[in-house]
Amino acid sequence: MPSSGADTPKPSALIPVSTAACLLVGSTTLFFVFTCPWLAVTVSPAVPPCCAILFLFVMANFTMATFMDAGVLPMANEDEDKDDDFRAPLYKNVDVKGVQVRMKWCASCHFYRPPRCSHCSVCDHCVEDFDHHCPWVNNCIGRRNYRYFFLFLLSLTVHMVGVFTFGLLYVLNHMEDLWKLHCTVTLVVISISGLFFIPVLGLTGFHLYLVSRGRTTNEQVTGKFQGGVNPFTRGCCSNLEYLICSPMSPNYTERACKKPAVRVQPPFLRPEIERQIPMKVRDNGIQSSDLQNKGSSAGSVDLSNIKRLNTPPPLPPKPDHALLKSQLAALDEMGHHTKSIIPASIPTVPQLRPVLEAISRGSSPIPPEQLLKTSELQGSNKSPDLKTDSKPSPGRAKQQDPLPVQPSFPTNPVSSPLQLNSLTLNSRSLTLKHNYRHSSKSQLPAMHSEALMSNPMFSPSNVLANRSSSLSYDNLISPADPQLMAQRGGPPVGYHPHFMTLGPDGSMVQRPPPHAYSPVFLGVTRHSPQPRDPSPSMQGLTPRDPSPSLQGFIQREPSPSFQGLMPRDLAPQGITLRDLAPPGLALRDITSQSLSARELGPQGLTPQKSAAVRYDNLSKTIMASIQERRELEERERLQRLHARSQALYGPDTGVYDIPSRRSLPPDNVRPRGPTPPAYGSREFLMSTGILGYGIRSSPLSSSSTSSLTRGPKTSSSPLHSSSSSSLQSKGRSSSPAYCLPDRQAQPLPSSASTLPRMPSSSTSSASSYTSYSTIKRSSLTSSSEGKDSVSLGVLK
Amino acid sequence: GAETFHNLQELRHSASLANKVFIQRDYSEGTTCKFQTKFPSELESRIERTLFEDTVKTLNNYYAEAEKIGGQSYLEGCLACATAYLIFLCMETRYEKVLKKIAKYIQEQNEKIYAPRGLLITDPIERGMRVVSFECHAAISPIHWSQKYKFKDV
Repeated sequence: MPSSGADTPKPSALIPVSTAACLLVGSTTLFFVFTCPWLAVTVSPAVPPCCAILFLFVMANFTMATFMDAGVLPMANEDEDKDDDFRAPLYKNVDVKGVQVRMKWCASCHFYRPPRCSHCSVCDHCVEDFDHHCPWVNNCIGRRNYRYFFLFLLSLTVHMVGVFTFGLLYVLNHMEDLWKLHCTVTLVVISISGLFFIPVLGLTGFHLYLVSRGRTTNEQVTGKFQGGVNPFTRGCCSNLEYLICSPMSPNYTERACKKPAVRVQPPFLRPEIERQIPMKVRDNGIQSSDLQNKGSSAGSVDLSNIKRLNTPPPLPPKPDHALLKSQLAALDEMGHHTKSIIPASIPTVPQLRPVLEAISRGSSPIPPEQLLKTSELQGSNKSPDLKTDSKPSPGRAKQQDPLPVQPSFPTNPVSSPLQLNSLTLNSRSLTLKHNYRHSSKSQLPAMHSEALMSNPMFSPSNVLANRSSSLSYDNLISPADPQLMAQRGGPPVGYHPHFMTLGPDGSMVQRPPPHAYSPVFLGVTRHSPQPRDPSPSMQGLTPRDPSPSLQGFIQREPSPSFQGLMPRDLAPQGITLRDLAPPGLALRDITSQSLSARELGPQGLTPQKSAAVRYDNLSKTIMASIQERRELEERERLQRLHARSQALYGPDTGVYDIPSRRSLPPDNVRPRGPTPPAYGSREFLMSTGILGYGIRSSPLSSSSTSSLTRGPKTSSSPLHSSSSSSLQSKGRSSSPAYCLPDRQAQPLPSSASTLPRMPSSSTSSASSYTSYSTIKRSSLTSSSEGKDSVSLGVLK
Repeated sequence: GAETFHNLQELRHSASLANKVFIQRDYSEGTTCKFQTKFPSELESRIERTLFEDTVKTLNNYYAEAEKIGGQSYLEGCLACATAYLIFLCMETRYEKVLKKIAKYIQEQNEKIYAPRGLLITDPIERGMRVVSFECHAAISPIHWSQKYKFKDV
């Protein structure tokens, strides 16, 4: 007898089941031995085999009902209920086919009981589709074994009818030697079967009624759907079909949890941020994300890192001039390659690509000193970068073993001097790039373009600056990893800079960007309009270069817009706007792709304009769009929060009294102890009107019971009403089955604590037997009464 | 130095579990097993909405297939009755078969999609089919970052 709540099956709990088993097996054996031979001869030789088969069916169902797990829901782990245990409401409403069903928090099992689930106090666990706890099989009847219980009842009824009929036939034909052994035995057998026939038939009829209405015993006795609509019924025939033919649901508690562990390596992909990062305009006119990451929680910050794009970086470590210089040297070493665009699809060595592209753009017009200064300025970006860098960049997840943390640069905010817009864009693209390293490329482009599009704050100069900063961090984080570099490079088309990327063999797998973006900086896979691989020109450089920005500047011709911004935003570097055409192209490219989605549009970003003019327009429009987006985002967040709170507490929170669970001290004290007065049982007790509303173990009960509006009087079931009336009139009712819960409640009026034990699970079969026993069989009555009290006492 | 790198490796491999997101059951169609496809906000930064929804929808389809009442379930029931349920000793039910498929699917999803993003899905069967849990793993902790990257100037 599965009783998972108890350590060992209590001996007293075994009495009903062993009695039932003995009676059943014993009587039938006697029947076969003493009566069947005559029947085989007289009536038909087919009688014994049919009876045998039927009896076998009865026993099989009895065994299944006894030993099969009813659908026990395992207790929730601590991690699941840490919020719910003390702060969540007792009830949670859920909508089932249009009907509001209340899910109750189970204090023992630490979860909200699914609809139709109830906690069995005898077995001390929650059972799915809980029907009742049957003492005759010493098991809960629930989802998994209800069909066997039902078939047991049916087959037992038929078997009893058969035994009774054939026995009677035998006795009637042997009236003359009524006291012979065979006859006597047959008499005993038919009297037993006749006595138990009525309760069993009653129970069978009751369950047939329940099945036709699609209810469980628990729901019937608690009157859940008495007045209302039962959302769980599928119609009479479908219910029967579901009962008999539905697939057997699995056992939840005995699962072999052996599965190969999936390694979760730190470098994590990050999805495109589709939400707008709220931007606030700082005093100095630089917009910064108001989700500033203070940098200490880089490892665990996910969203904040991503959102934190434009926070002015806290003072970063000083740029390493030596590193810059080494980077420069490395770049110079690469020589000057062709200026042609190197599409990402070209199977160049990944780490060379950015270098190639950078070099293809010609040497930077910016003198190294100025670049150094720029990098210093950008050094301020480093600290946020540092923080975000701690987040492993995506894309490395699977293969990277030696790779150090990918710079999750994309989220690195741009230095304050730089326009935050572009930084946002850059970081996003970086994120994308890393994220999609291993994910399907088809998704990537969409995501990236989405992300990019959603970022109106886009300016090439910022991109460049961002890249430079990120590049520095890239170098820092993954010093000499060419793969890393490669990943950062190769912006795919349009705005999927990060998508690309490294294929399993490390070769760049990217979508050819239509225009290479000025790549200079690592990690920024933003496609630049120029045929430059945005990826780290730094790849060829020694890693650990803290200020790749310098290199970026050196290596290529920054877009004019960028260049224009540089002097504007940073200290004048002496950078002159040059070659407006490519930046214009870049701008157009960028804007058309990313900004078209927004109202930002390419206003003021016509490629033909001068870079300076473009800047002004761009910044203004960008700022406007940023603010707008921020408002939208905040509104959206508020709505979401509101919706969430609504969902949790339900629209009719006011209807139900939802006491905080703190008001139930016993529950909290004993998380897994004996179930406190089973709310279900108390509820149905109250609803049947037996105990009135006096027995309340907690203030909660009043609310819970008040919600159970109906009492037994309103029950349409004749059984119910008779039971309730009998309950009120007599101590021990002799009315049929279902008054059992009520009846059993009565003998223990004083002990409210044990009352609840009387569960909803008190079986109707038990009730039927006991109730009939009171009238009909004194011996049985006493035994059953004894059993009742014993079982009542035994019930935890 | 070498020691910091060593620590880095260790730290990196023990990506910490930062958060767990639970996807609850969708009871709108009764007690059939179905999970909510609403995209939780906690995962917005970790995984794309479409990927998440695909996973949950596929799981829902698997469960619907397992719980379908049709020819195979009839056959299974009849066979079980005919053999006095002894068939359950040797044969696994259809539901169990689908559960195995689901376990394999979840494993594959974890390997391909979720682990690279620092997430892990747990099979809902382990929690009684009440929730699907997404474990969010943190990236490398900051300490390892600072250990590894020592700026020369600092």
